Amino acid sequence: MSTPYSPDEPLDATDEAVLADLGRVALLADPVPADLVERSLFAMTLAALETEVMTLERMPEAAGVRAAETAPTQARTITFTSTSRTVMITVAPGVDGVRIDGWIAPTGEVDIELHRPHGEVLTTRTDEDGRFAFDAVAPGPASLVARPDDGPAVSTPVIEL
Amino acid sequence: MAESRHETVRDPGEVSLGDRAAHAVLEYREGRPAALEEVVREMTPLLWHTVRAQGVDPQAADDVVQDTWVALVRHMDTIAEPHAVLKWLLVTARRGAWEAVRRRRRDEQHRTELHDGPDPETGAHREVPSSDPAPDAVVATNDRDRTLWTVFQDLPARCRELLRLVSLADRPDYKYISEAIGMPVGSIGATRGRCLAKLRTLLDESGADDTWRHA
Repeated sequence: MSTPYSPDEPLDATDEAVLADLGRVALLADPVPADLVERSLFAMTLAALETEVMTLERMPEAAGVRAAETAPTQARTITFTSTSRTVMITVAPGVDGVRIDGWIAPTGEVDIELHRPHGEVLTTRTDEDGRFAFDAVAPGPASLVARPDDGPAVSTPVIEL
Repeated sequence: MAESRHETVRDPGEVSLGDRAAHAVLEYREGRPAALEEVVREMTPLLWHTVRAQGVDPQAADDVVQDTWVALVRHMDTIAEPHAVLKWLLVTARRGAWEAVRRRRRDEQHRTELHDGPDPETGAHREVPSSDPAPDAVVATNDRDRTLWTVFQDLPARCRELLRLVSLADRPDYKYISEAIGMPVGSIGATRGRCLAKLRTLLDESGADDTWRHA
Protein backbone atom coordinates (compact mmCIF):
# COMPACT_ATOMS: atom_id res chain seq x y z
CA MET A 1 0.00 0.00 0.00
CA SER A 2 1.50 3.32 -0.98
CA THR A 3 1.60 6.46 1.13
CA PRO A 4 -0.31 9.44 -0.26
CA TYR A 5 1.91 12.32 -1.36
CA SER A 6 1.63 15.53 0.64
CA PRO A 7 0.36 18.66 -1.11
CA ASP A 8 2.58 20.77 1.17
CA GLU A 9 5.92 19.33 0.12
CA PRO A 10 8.09 21.29 -2.31
CA LEU A 11 7.70 20.44 -6.00
CA ASP A 12 10.40 17.84 -6.67
CA ALA A 13 12.14 16.52 -9.77
CA THR A 14 9.63 13.67 -10.19
CA ASP A 15 6.75 16.17 -10.08
CA GLU A 16 8.44 18.11 -12.84
CA ALA A 17 8.99 14.96 -14.89
CA VAL A 18 5.33 13.96 -14.50
CA LEU A 19 4.18 17.45 -15.54
CA ALA A 20 6.51 17.47 -18.56
CA ASP A 21 5.11 14.09 -19.68
CA LEU A 22 1.55 15.26 -19.05
CA GLY A 23 2.09 18.30 -21.28
CA ARG A 24 3.48 16.11 -24.04
CA VAL A 25 0.66 13.53 -23.79
CA ALA A 26 -2.04 16.24 -23.64
CA LEU A 27 -0.72 17.68 -26.91
CA LEU A 28 -0.74 14.18 -28.45
CA ALA A 29 -4.25 13.42 -27.20
CA ASP A 30 -5.71 16.77 -28.20
CA PRO A 31 -3.43 18.28 -30.83
CA VAL A 32 -3.55 21.97 -31.64
CA PRO A 33 -4.77 22.38 -35.26
CA ALA A 34 -1.66 22.65 -37.44
CA ASP A 35 -2.35 26.07 -38.92
CA LEU A 36 -4.06 27.70 -35.91
CA VAL A 37 -0.99 29.83 -35.15
CA GLU A 38 -0.76 31.12 -38.73
CA ARG A 39 -4.48 31.88 -38.89
CA SER A 40 -4.32 33.64 -35.51
CA LEU A 41 -1.39 35.78 -36.66
CA PHE A 42 -3.26 36.67 -39.86
CA ALA A 43 -6.40 37.59 -37.89
CA MET A 44 -4.27 39.78 -35.56
CA THR A 45 -2.64 41.58 -38.48
CA LEU A 46 -6.06 42.32 -39.97
CA ALA A 47 -7.44 43.47 -36.60
CA ALA A 48 -4.53 45.90 -36.28
CA LEU A 49 -5.67 47.63 -39.49
CA GLU A 50 -8.65 48.95 -37.48
CA THR A 51 -10.95 48.80 -40.47
CA GLU A 52 -14.69 48.33 -40.35
CA VAL A 53 -15.26 44.61 -40.99
CA MET A 54 -17.93 43.95 -43.61
CA THR A 55 -20.61 41.30 -43.36
CA LEU A 56 -20.53 38.29 -45.65
CA GLU A 57 -23.87 37.92 -47.42
CA ARG A 58 -24.91 34.29 -47.58
CA MET A 59 -25.25 33.03 -51.12
CA PRO A 60 -28.30 30.83 -51.73
CA GLU A 61 -26.22 28.08 -53.41
CA ALA A 62 -23.76 28.06 -50.50
CA ALA A 63 -26.41 27.53 -47.85
CA GLY A 64 -25.17 25.21 -45.15
CA VAL A 65 -21.74 24.88 -46.71
CA ARG A 66 -18.77 26.82 -45.45
CA ALA A 67 -16.90 28.46 -48.29
CA ALA A 68 -13.62 26.94 -47.13
CA GLU A 69 -15.04 23.43 -47.38
CA THR A 70 -16.03 23.84 -50.99
CA ALA A 71 -13.34 22.74 -53.41
CA PRO A 72 -12.45 25.79 -55.52
CA THR A 73 -13.15 24.14 -58.85
CA GLN A 74 -15.57 26.72 -60.21
CA ALA A 75 -16.19 30.43 -60.08
CA ARG A 76 -18.14 31.71 -57.11
CA THR A 77 -19.52 35.14 -56.34
CA ILE A 78 -19.43 36.60 -52.85
CA THR A 79 -21.01 39.83 -51.63
CA PHE A 80 -19.89 41.82 -48.59
CA THR A 81 -21.70 44.77 -47.07
CA SER A 82 -21.04 47.44 -44.48
CA THR A 83 -22.94 50.57 -43.55
CA SER A 84 -21.06 52.59 -46.17
CA ARG A 85 -20.01 50.15 -48.93
CA THR A 86 -20.87 47.01 -50.83
CA VAL A 87 -18.18 44.81 -52.38
CA MET A 88 -18.97 42.00 -54.79
CA ILE A 89 -16.25 39.63 -55.98
CA THR A 90 -16.08 36.67 -58.30
CA VAL A 91 -13.31 34.19 -57.52
CA ALA A 92 -12.37 31.88 -60.38
CA PRO A 93 -9.61 29.29 -60.64
CA GLY A 94 -7.15 29.90 -63.46
CA VAL A 95 -4.04 28.27 -64.87
CA ASP A 96 -1.57 30.37 -62.87
CA GLY A 97 -3.69 30.69 -59.74
CA VAL A 98 -6.92 32.34 -58.71
CA ARG A 99 -8.42 35.35 -60.45
CA ILE A 100 -10.50 37.85 -58.49
CA ASP A 101 -12.83 40.24 -60.31
CA GLY A 102 -14.48 42.75 -58.03
CA TRP A 103 -16.72 45.76 -57.92
CA ILE A 104 -17.30 48.28 -55.16
CA ALA A 105 -20.26 50.57 -54.63
CA PRO A 106 -20.79 53.48 -54.33
CA THR A 107 -18.58 53.66 -57.43
CA GLY A 108 -15.51 55.85 -57.76
CA GLU A 109 -11.77 55.31 -57.63
CA VAL A 110 -10.82 53.43 -54.49
CA ASP A 111 -7.54 51.85 -53.32
CA ILE A 112 -7.95 48.11 -52.86
CA GLU A 113 -5.56 45.87 -50.92
CA LEU A 114 -5.46 42.09 -50.91
CA HIS A 115 -4.00 40.92 -47.58
CA ARG A 116 -2.47 37.46 -47.27
CA PRO A 117 -0.79 35.66 -44.35
CA HIS A 118 2.82 36.56 -43.49
CA GLY A 119 2.23 40.25 -44.14
CA GLU A 120 1.92 39.94 -47.91
CA VAL A 121 -0.17 42.76 -49.42
CA LEU A 122 -1.11 43.27 -53.09
CA THR A 123 -2.57 46.63 -54.07
CA THR A 124 -4.57 48.00 -56.95
CA ARG A 125 -6.97 50.84 -57.64
CA THR A 126 -10.46 50.56 -59.08
CA ASP A 127 -11.46 52.23 -62.31
CA GLU A 128 -14.02 55.02 -62.16
CA ASP A 129 -16.84 52.48 -62.28
CA GLY A 130 -15.53 50.78 -59.13
CA ARG A 131 -14.15 47.70 -60.91
CA PHE A 132 -10.91 46.00 -59.87
CA ALA A 133 -9.12 42.69 -60.44
CA PHE A 134 -6.27 40.60 -59.08
CA ASP A 135 -4.87 37.98 -61.43
CA ALA A 136 -2.91 34.77 -60.77
CA VAL A 137 -3.20 34.90 -56.99
CA ALA A 138 -2.06 31.92 -54.89
CA PRO A 139 -4.87 29.93 -53.21
CA GLY A 140 -5.30 30.27 -49.45
CA PRO A 141 -6.75 32.68 -46.88
CA ALA A 142 -7.21 36.30 -47.89
CA SER A 143 -8.93 39.52 -46.89
CA LEU A 144 -9.74 42.50 -49.11
CA VAL A 145 -9.40 46.02 -47.75
CA ALA A 146 -10.95 49.02 -49.50
CA ARG A 147 -9.64 52.50 -48.67
CA PRO A 148 -11.96 55.14 -50.14
CA ASP A 149 -10.56 58.68 -50.27
CA ASP A 150 -13.71 60.02 -48.66
CA GLY A 151 -14.64 57.52 -45.97
CA PRO A 152 -13.52 54.90 -43.48
CA ALA A 153 -11.55 51.86 -44.67
CA VAL A 154 -13.53 48.62 -44.79
CA SER A 155 -12.31 45.02 -44.89
CA THR A 156 -13.87 41.67 -45.71
CA PRO A 157 -13.79 38.74 -43.32
CA VAL A 158 -11.13 36.16 -44.17
CA ILE A 159 -12.13 34.09 -47.20
CA GLU A 160 -10.46 31.03 -48.69
CA LEU A 161 -9.30 31.62 -52.26
CA MET B 1 31.32 56.40 -24.37
CA ALA B 2 30.11 56.22 -20.80
CA GLU B 3 28.72 53.00 -19.54
CA SER B 4 25.15 52.79 -20.70
CA ARG B 5 22.51 51.45 -18.42
CA HIS B 6 20.71 48.50 -19.83
CA GLU B 7 18.77 45.54 -18.56
CA THR B 8 20.86 42.51 -17.81
CA VAL B 9 20.18 39.89 -20.41
CA ARG B 10 19.05 36.86 -18.51
CA ASP B 11 19.28 33.26 -19.48
CA PRO B 12 16.18 32.71 -21.68
CA GLY B 13 15.47 29.61 -19.62
CA GLU B 14 14.83 31.78 -16.58
CA VAL B 15 12.30 34.04 -18.24
CA SER B 16 8.82 32.58 -18.05
CA LEU B 17 6.14 32.58 -20.72
CA GLY B 18 4.31 35.29 -18.77
CA ASP B 19 7.43 37.49 -18.72
CA ARG B 20 7.92 37.05 -22.45
CA ALA B 21 4.26 37.92 -23.09
CA ALA B 22 4.53 41.08 -20.97
CA HIS B 23 7.67 42.11 -22.85
CA ALA B 24 5.94 41.41 -26.18
CA VAL B 25 3.01 43.68 -25.30
CA LEU B 26 5.35 46.55 -24.48
CA GLU B 27 7.26 45.93 -27.72
CA TYR B 28 4.07 45.84 -29.76
CA ARG B 29 2.95 49.17 -28.31
CA GLU B 30 6.24 50.62 -29.50
CA GLY B 31 5.51 49.38 -33.02
CA ARG B 32 7.59 46.19 -32.91
CA PRO B 33 5.32 43.16 -33.40
CA ALA B 34 8.00 40.46 -33.80
CA ALA B 35 8.11 39.48 -30.10
CA LEU B 36 4.34 39.08 -30.00
CA GLU B 37 4.47 36.72 -32.98
CA GLU B 38 6.84 34.48 -31.01
CA VAL B 39 4.47 34.58 -28.03
CA VAL B 40 1.52 33.61 -30.25
CA ARG B 41 3.49 30.59 -31.47
CA GLU B 42 4.43 29.61 -27.96
CA MET B 43 1.17 30.30 -26.14
CA THR B 44 -1.44 29.07 -28.63
CA PRO B 45 -1.23 25.48 -27.23
CA LEU B 46 -1.94 26.85 -23.73
CA LEU B 47 -4.97 28.80 -24.99
CA TRP B 48 -6.18 25.81 -27.00
CA HIS B 49 -6.15 23.59 -23.92
CA THR B 50 -7.74 26.33 -21.81
CA VAL B 51 -10.68 26.45 -24.23
CA ARG B 52 -10.91 22.69 -24.78
CA ALA B 53 -10.95 22.09 -20.99
CA GLN B 54 -14.30 23.96 -20.90
CA GLY B 55 -15.89 21.31 -23.15
CA VAL B 56 -15.74 23.28 -26.42
CA ASP B 57 -15.60 21.20 -29.62
CA PRO B 58 -12.46 21.57 -31.79
CA GLN B 59 -13.99 23.73 -34.52
CA ALA B 60 -15.47 26.23 -32.06
CA ALA B 61 -12.26 26.13 -29.99
CA ASP B 62 -10.33 27.14 -33.09
CA ASP B 63 -12.50 30.27 -33.40
CA VAL B 64 -12.26 31.09 -29.68
CA VAL B 65 -8.45 30.95 -29.74
CA GLN B 66 -8.28 33.25 -32.79
CA ASP B 67 -10.80 35.63 -31.22
CA THR B 68 -8.71 35.74 -28.04
CA TRP B 69 -5.63 36.85 -29.96
CA VAL B 70 -7.68 39.40 -31.92
CA ALA B 71 -9.07 40.73 -28.61
CA LEU B 72 -5.50 41.20 -27.39
CA VAL B 73 -4.67 43.37 -30.42
CA ARG B 74 -7.88 45.38 -29.98
CA HIS B 75 -7.29 45.94 -26.25
CA MET B 76 -3.54 46.33 -26.48
CA ASP B 77 -3.60 49.94 -25.25
CA THR B 78 -6.05 49.33 -22.44
CA ILE B 79 -4.21 46.50 -20.72
CA ALA B 80 -3.15 48.36 -17.61
CA GLU B 81 -0.74 45.75 -16.32
CA PRO B 82 1.31 44.17 -19.09
CA HIS B 83 2.87 41.78 -16.57
CA ALA B 84 -0.58 40.24 -16.10
CA VAL B 85 -1.19 39.69 -19.82
CA LEU B 86 -0.90 35.90 -19.46
CA LYS B 87 -3.73 35.95 -16.94
CA TRP B 88 -5.71 38.39 -19.15
CA LEU B 89 -5.39 35.98 -22.12
CA LEU B 90 -6.47 32.95 -20.07
CA VAL B 91 -9.48 34.78 -18.61
CA THR B 92 -10.49 36.04 -22.07
CA ALA B 93 -10.14 32.56 -23.58
CA ARG B 94 -12.26 31.00 -20.81
CA ARG B 95 -15.01 33.59 -21.23
CA GLY B 96 -14.99 32.98 -24.97
CA ALA B 97 -15.21 29.24 -24.31
CA TRP B 98 -18.21 29.61 -21.98
CA GLU B 99 -19.95 31.76 -24.59
CA ALA B 100 -19.29 29.04 -27.21
CA VAL B 101 -20.71 26.38 -24.85
CA ARG B 102 -23.83 28.50 -24.19
CA ARG B 103 -24.30 29.03 -27.93
CA ARG B 104 -24.01 25.29 -28.61
CA ARG B 105 -26.54 24.45 -25.88
CA ARG B 106 -28.97 27.01 -27.31
CA ASP B 107 -28.56 25.52 -30.78
CA GLU B 108 -28.97 21.98 -29.47
CA GLN B 109 -32.08 22.93 -27.54
CA HIS B 110 -33.45 24.59 -30.65
CA ARG B 111 -32.75 21.47 -32.74
CA THR B 112 -34.27 19.18 -30.13
CA GLU B 113 -37.40 21.31 -30.12
CA LEU B 114 -37.55 21.12 -33.91
CA HIS B 115 -37.04 17.37 -34.22
CA ASP B 116 -37.69 15.65 -30.97
CA GLY B 117 -35.97 12.31 -30.70
CA PRO B 118 -32.87 10.65 -32.09
CA ASP B 119 -30.77 12.10 -34.85
CA PRO B 120 -32.64 11.37 -38.11
CA GLU B 121 -29.42 10.64 -40.00
CA THR B 122 -27.51 8.44 -37.60
CA GLY B 123 -30.31 7.27 -35.32
CA ALA B 124 -28.10 8.16 -32.39
CA HIS B 125 -29.38 9.95 -29.33
CA ARG B 126 -27.84 13.36 -28.92
CA GLU B 127 -25.46 13.86 -26.10
CA VAL B 128 -22.94 16.46 -25.15
CA PRO B 129 -19.54 15.07 -26.05
CA SER B 130 -16.84 15.02 -23.40
CA SER B 131 -13.99 17.32 -24.31
CA ASP B 132 -11.17 15.05 -23.22
CA PRO B 133 -10.37 12.35 -25.76
CA ALA B 134 -10.74 8.86 -24.35
CA PRO B 135 -7.50 7.19 -23.26
CA ASP B 136 -7.85 4.87 -26.26
CA ALA B 137 -7.77 7.84 -28.57
CA VAL B 138 -4.30 8.77 -27.40
CA VAL B 139 -1.60 7.86 -29.82
CA ALA B 140 0.23 6.35 -26.90
CA THR B 141 3.61 5.14 -27.99
CA ASN B 142 4.33 3.52 -24.66
CA ASP B 143 2.64 2.15 -21.54
CA ARG B 144 3.88 5.00 -19.43
CA ASP B 145 2.02 7.61 -21.49
CA ARG B 146 -1.12 5.48 -21.56
CA THR B 147 -1.03 4.94 -17.79
CA LEU B 148 -0.47 8.64 -17.15
CA TRP B 149 -3.40 9.69 -19.36
CA THR B 150 -5.71 7.01 -17.93
CA VAL B 151 -4.89 7.91 -14.32
CA PHE B 152 -5.17 11.62 -15.14
CA GLN B 153 -8.82 11.09 -16.19
CA ASP B 154 -9.63 9.98 -12.61
CA LEU B 155 -8.81 13.44 -11.24
CA PRO B 156 -11.59 15.96 -10.59
CA ALA B 157 -12.27 18.26 -13.57
CA ARG B 158 -10.80 21.32 -11.81
CA CYS B 159 -7.55 19.47 -11.18
CA ARG B 160 -7.43 18.23 -14.76
CA GLU B 161 -7.77 21.80 -16.00
CA LEU B 162 -5.09 23.16 -13.66
CA LEU B 163 -2.54 20.42 -14.39
CA ARG B 164 -3.18 20.43 -18.12
CA LEU B 165 -2.45 24.15 -18.24
CA VAL B 166 0.57 24.30 -15.94
CA SER B 167 2.09 21.36 -17.83
CA LEU B 168 2.25 23.68 -20.87
CA ALA B 169 3.71 26.68 -19.02
CA ASP B 170 6.74 27.66 -16.96
CA ARG B 171 6.90 27.43 -13.20
CA PRO B 172 6.81 31.19 -12.47
CA ASP B 173 3.52 31.27 -14.45
CA TYR B 174 1.74 28.75 -12.23
CA LYS B 175 0.38 31.37 -9.87
CA TYR B 176 -1.14 33.41 -12.74
CA ILE B 177 -2.69 30.26 -14.19
CA SER B 178 -4.19 29.31 -10.81
CA GLU B 179 -5.60 32.82 -10.39
CA ALA B 180 -6.99 32.92 -13.92
CA ILE B 181 -8.94 29.70 -13.46
CA GLY B 182 -10.09 30.63 -9.95
CA MET B 183 -8.01 28.11 -8.03
CA PRO B 184 -6.70 29.12 -4.60
CA VAL B 185 -3.26 30.72 -4.47
CA GLY B 186 -0.70 28.03 -3.74
CA SER B 187 -2.62 25.37 -5.69
CA ILE B 188 0.68 24.54 -7.31
CA GLY B 189 4.06 26.21 -7.49
CA ALA B 190 6.41 26.33 -4.53
CA THR B 191 4.61 23.30 -3.15
CA ARG B 192 3.20 20.33 -4.99
CA GLY B 193 -0.39 21.25 -4.23
CA ARG B 194 -3.49 19.12 -3.88
CA CYS B 195 -3.97 18.22 -7.56
CA LEU B 196 -0.44 17.08 -8.32
CA ALA B 197 -0.27 15.23 -4.96
CA LYS B 198 -3.41 13.35 -5.97
CA LEU B 199 -1.99 12.50 -9.40
CA ARG B 200 1.27 11.27 -7.85
CA THR B 201 -0.65 9.12 -5.38
CA LEU B 202 -2.80 7.63 -8.15
CA LEU B 203 0.31 6.92 -10.26
CA ASP B 204 1.88 5.21 -7.25
CA GLU B 205 -1.20 3.08 -6.74
CA SER B 206 -1.13 2.08 -10.40
CA GLY B 207 2.45 0.93 -9.81
CA ALA B 208 3.76 3.39 -12.37
CA ASP B 209 5.27 6.13 -10.21
CA ASP B 210 8.61 4.31 -10.00
CA THR B 211 8.94 4.76 -13.71
CA TRP B 212 9.15 8.51 -13.27
CA ARG B 213 11.24 8.40 -10.12
CA HIS B 214 13.90 6.36 -11.85
CA ALA B 215 13.56 7.98 -15.24
